[in-house]
Amino acid sequence: MEHPTELAADAPSRAWDRPVVTLPVLAFLSLVGGQLPSFSTRANVYTICLGGAMLWLGLGNRLPRRPPPTRLGPGAAWWLLPVAVFGIFEGATFLLGSTPEYPTFSKLADPLLEDRLLRSAGYFAWLTGFWVLVRR
Amino acid sequence: MSVSRTIVIAGFLAAIVGCAVVEALARRKDSRIPTLGDVCAYVMGYEVGRVPVGRIGFFGFWWWLGWHLFAR
Repeated sequence: MEHPTELAADAPSRAWDRPVVTLPVLAFLSLVGGQLPSFSTRANVYTICLGGAMLWLGLGNRLPRRPPPTRLGPGAAWWLLPVAVFGIFEGATFLLGSTPEYPTFSKLADPLLEDRLLRSAGYFAWLTGFWVLVRR
Repeated sequence: MSVSRTIVIAGFLAAIVGCAVVEALARRKDSRIPTLGDVCAYVMGYEVGRVPVGRIGFFGFWWWLGWHLFAR
């Protein structure tokens, strides 16, 4: 099977493509994002632009990627357990209207994300996850 | 805090802790459990024809998640 990741994995690594460079950049972007309040135009534009840039990098062959596993063993089924627990609670609370008695995950996260430091930390986790996905 | 809210929070925490436990088990030497990164990479490799459906789905979901948490 022709797979673009194999081509990309052979690409030479760039000087800036190291954690000592990328992590501070992601941290800076996270600190900026953490200052932007929810529901603001700036927050919308910033999130959409950052996500769009990551999408552009991830769908192209501009960066080298780690080769994906050819198959997953039966042990992968263990991941279904926590994912199913999360899905059941998220689905149930969503269907119940995401009220204070039955809050969805994002409703629980909202008050925490009002704090700028926690918001920046959340941004950092989101961007780092995005970057990890780009490289896989 | 109501009992239902406490149960919901406990459920989400159990799922998060469960993910951390499975990841820790996966990172042991000679583990048969793949890491979360390997599972994601495998699913992202799914293609329909030449369309990388898995990558588009993962990136789209992650993009939406960030927008949902930080912008909406």
